[in-house]
Amino acid sequence: MSIASLDRIASTGRWRNRPLAEKALIGLGFLILAVTLPPWPGAVFVTAAMLAVTFGLARVSVKLWLAIAALPLGFLIPGSLVLLVQLGPEGIGLAPGGAQEAALLVLRALAATTCLIFLATTTPAADLVAGLRRFGLPSEIVEIALLMYRFVFILAEEATAMTVAQRARLGHSTRARWLRSTGQVIAALLPRAMARARRLEVGLAARGWQGEMRVLSDRARASWLSLGAILAAQAAVAILGMLL
Amino acid sequence: MHIMEGYLPASHAIGWYAVSAPFFVAGALKIRKIVAERPEARMTLAASGAFAFVLSALKIPSVTGSCSHPTGTGLGAIIFGPSVMAVLGVIVLLFQALLLAHGGLTTLGANAFSMAIVGPWVAWGIWKLGRGVGLSVAFSVFFAAMLGDLATYVTTALQLALAYPDPASGFIGAAVKFGSIFAFTQVPLAIVEGLLTVIVMDALAGKVPDDQKLRILAGEAR
Repeated sequence: MSIASLDRIASTGRWRNRPLAEKALIGLGFLILAVTLPPWPGAVFVTAAMLAVTFGLARVSVKLWLAIAALPLGFLIPGSLVLLVQLGPEGIGLAPGGAQEAALLVLRALAATTCLIFLATTTPAADLVAGLRRFGLPSEIVEIALLMYRFVFILAEEATAMTVAQRARLGHSTRARWLRSTGQVIAALLPRAMARARRLEVGLAARGWQGEMRVLSDRARASWLSLGAILAAQAAVAILGMLL
Repeated sequence: MHIMEGYLPASHAIGWYAVSAPFFVAGALKIRKIVAERPEARMTLAASGAFAFVLSALKIPSVTGSCSHPTGTGLGAIIFGPSVMAVLGVIVLLFQALLLAHGGLTTLGANAFSMAIVGPWVAWGIWKLGRGVGLSVAFSVFFAAMLGDLATYVTTALQLALAYPDPASGFIGAAVKFGSIFAFTQVPLAIVEGLLTVIVMDALAGKVPDDQKLRILAGEAR
């Protein structure tokens, strides 16, 4: 997974042009349910609902989804195995009820991860960050975050090009060289990033930039009907999760 | 080390958001002041944040596994200062969650505390201390980056232990458990990152022929 791959999936996906409010309500709403409902059976319902929406409606490729999920699972495996053991005065032993606690943790973390991956694969990060304005984040911070988003892909491409060039010249042939090469990439990247920032700023200043980027958004507005339907589905999951 | 989405119980997730919030607000106020004085600083700050993000996606060799990635915490703190790093770090963590599924939204508060607050402040403190007692630049940078990384990792282990205390030995036992299971990857990584940061600072120092550029690297964005 490169830096751009998830954003590319989100930008070319079937749900790219769905209203932001709908996607945010689905992703964040179920995320809240995933961490607040009792993991059994609440988190299972959340996982099922999110997977149905991700694969059934948004048509995200299962193969890509699994590639994305591999990274968080690398944390989850050691992170849940820890709960199986306890450190007592007699040394290391199996924890009473540890298996159950670990299983519940896995269920909750999986449910929450499906929500995060849903958001990441259906909504470009820039849309989500721009949406943070509505939550009252100061506009300076949002602007910087959006500018940062624009810089990220340019710098990532430069870094990749430098790394490829080094590898082609045996720059990664030993561990020590690899480390040295990476250091050189980083050291070459920072002045370039600063120079690019300066050029962009000069160019914008010449066009009368006042420190705010206004862009036309032609996204459809969310309909109350669909928002209502999402809320109803979430209420149903919440009730089922608490009652069963 | 990022805590994954959904790993922390809701109460802990909210608690860590509350702990991190004052640092974020203080950094945001500072950035607002910088931007009001010099609107062009937006670009510098954005480029710095993007740099930190890209840096964290580079692969470096690690002693135990095949490879790992640097955090950039120490380098960022030395170059940009810890209070600005709190805000840039939070934005970087947000993008890491949304672009790489690394970390999470519910755990953003906890991750921000360990990676955007504790790590940078420790790294910056060690850097200042090292220079203050007359340590060479290379050693100061090495210890700042390495201890910054270790502080981040220890903080994360404590956060996990707080959420999942050991049934027999409580918080302390859990801290030892979480600390030791992740130590295999995190301790070598901290040493590698220390070395890497020395190489970077060394190479950067060679790239600043005049005072103007040095000023940019040393603190224009601070």
